[in-house]
Amino acid sequence: MQQFMGYRRANGDVGVRNHLLILSGTVYANGVVERVADAIHGAVPVTHANGRCQVAPDLRVTRRFLAGTAMNPNVGAVVIIDHFKEEGMTAEDLADDIAPTGKPVATVNIRADGGYINALAKATRYAQDFARQISRLQREPASMSKILFGTECGTSDTTSGLASNPANGLAGELLIAQGGRMLMAECTEWMGCENWLTDKAANPSVAAAIIAGVQHMEARALASGEDIRGSQPTGDNMAGGLTTIEEKSMGAVKKIGDSPIIEHLDIAAAPTQTAPGNYVMYGPGMGAESISSMAAAGCQVLTFCTGGGHTSNHPIMPTIKVTGNRNSYELMRDTVDVDVSGVFTGDLTLAEAGQIVYDEMARVCSGYLTKSEALRDNNSFAIHRVGPSI
Amino acid sequence: MKTVFVVYADDNVGTAVLEPISAGDSVASNGERSDIQLTARADIAYGHKIALLDIAAGATVLKYGLSIGSATRDIRAGDHVHTHNVESNRGRGDLAES
Repeated sequence: MQQFMGYRRANGDVGVRNHLLILSGTVYANGVVERVADAIHGAVPVTHANGRCQVAPDLRVTRRFLAGTAMNPNVGAVVIIDHFKEEGMTAEDLADDIAPTGKPVATVNIRADGGYINALAKATRYAQDFARQISRLQREPASMSKILFGTECGTSDTTSGLASNPANGLAGELLIAQGGRMLMAECTEWMGCENWLTDKAANPSVAAAIIAGVQHMEARALASGEDIRGSQPTGDNMAGGLTTIEEKSMGAVKKIGDSPIIEHLDIAAAPTQTAPGNYVMYGPGMGAESISSMAAAGCQVLTFCTGGGHTSNHPIMPTIKVTGNRNSYELMRDTVDVDVSGVFTGDLTLAEAGQIVYDEMARVCSGYLTKSEALRDNNSFAIHRVGPSI
Repeated sequence: MKTVFVVYADDNVGTAVLEPISAGDSVASNGERSDIQLTARADIAYGHKIALLDIAAGATVLKYGLSIGSATRDIRAGDHVHTHNVESNRGRGDLAES
């Protein structure tokens, strides 16, 4: 079995990074979070606009995103900074969610800890202690079977369905052969190839959940007054050469391979199964929300397949950009990691392209920095909303 | 000689992803099916599909080794394959049994 060099956690998880996470519990703590992270070696801030005046179902999703991000194996320790105490999602609630992982967690409440400056000092001291504590952990060999490999596609073009997505699916097959798991979200893009997915479902309840998830997303879209299905493929899709909804969706879902689908997950929920294979998750096509939901589910690494090129990068989950468009690679090579356009020129077979994607993913798992990590451009943390602010 | 890309060996269409094709051009395939030689019978814009083989009316159009729809008329090798001669088999309320 192939191995990578990772950080072994108390609960048996293995991280590919060893981040100190400074986590905001609410929009009003973001300033303190940024300052603490700026002061401490290796600290990564995660801020957002949520945590106040959300309806209960929406707040529960926010809580899963925040707690899940902290529980991700790539996080070595967490400092949570909160302001008021929001019913159902206090810093203590988040710490309770994270506790089973066994990782160090500290909470600071700006009001209870004596205001902005005192809270800043207290959180900075926690962060300093944690930064030194987790710095003692060394990478050690771990099985690739420990990897939950997320996959996303965005800014897709003609090349996506033909090169980067199918190569990525083959990379997933290589990981699954090692006992690993692959996760795909964006159920909006499963419309038109539900049958291809349900044919892979490990059991009828997984198949039913896939259908129900797509229908739920479709109903939400229709409720907004937007008919996304009656007009598929869109006029610009057809001008670009896509003929039917089947063709469009197949290009998107080809980013997973042909392995069985073991489980269907709610958004930002961790798998409950460990069997090798594909896992799929309810969620929107919006890239930052989608990859953040997969980080919250525990993905240690993610490939982001792109036609036009992309800058997306999650703060704690290395985000490897893969393109089959040579022009996009040349224009966006500062942030696009892998170019598989050789499949069109005959320089690469699809199988070779899949191996290239897998090899890059495996190197990143052992510590190789993605281009966006080297730039510290942590732009893609976003929380999916399922209710209005009130 | 122009080249079209074929993503799976079972496919009966290829995609003009390297260069646009004009009617009368000699066309070869690459990718997972590199045995095809034909003459384009229509202009094929970048990103559009060309029939690699004759596809009879009603037959399945295959890309990714899977159905992307059915031919609505006889398609000949070298034809442009698009909405004018292929229809979806999904979301077809008009075909539902009563």
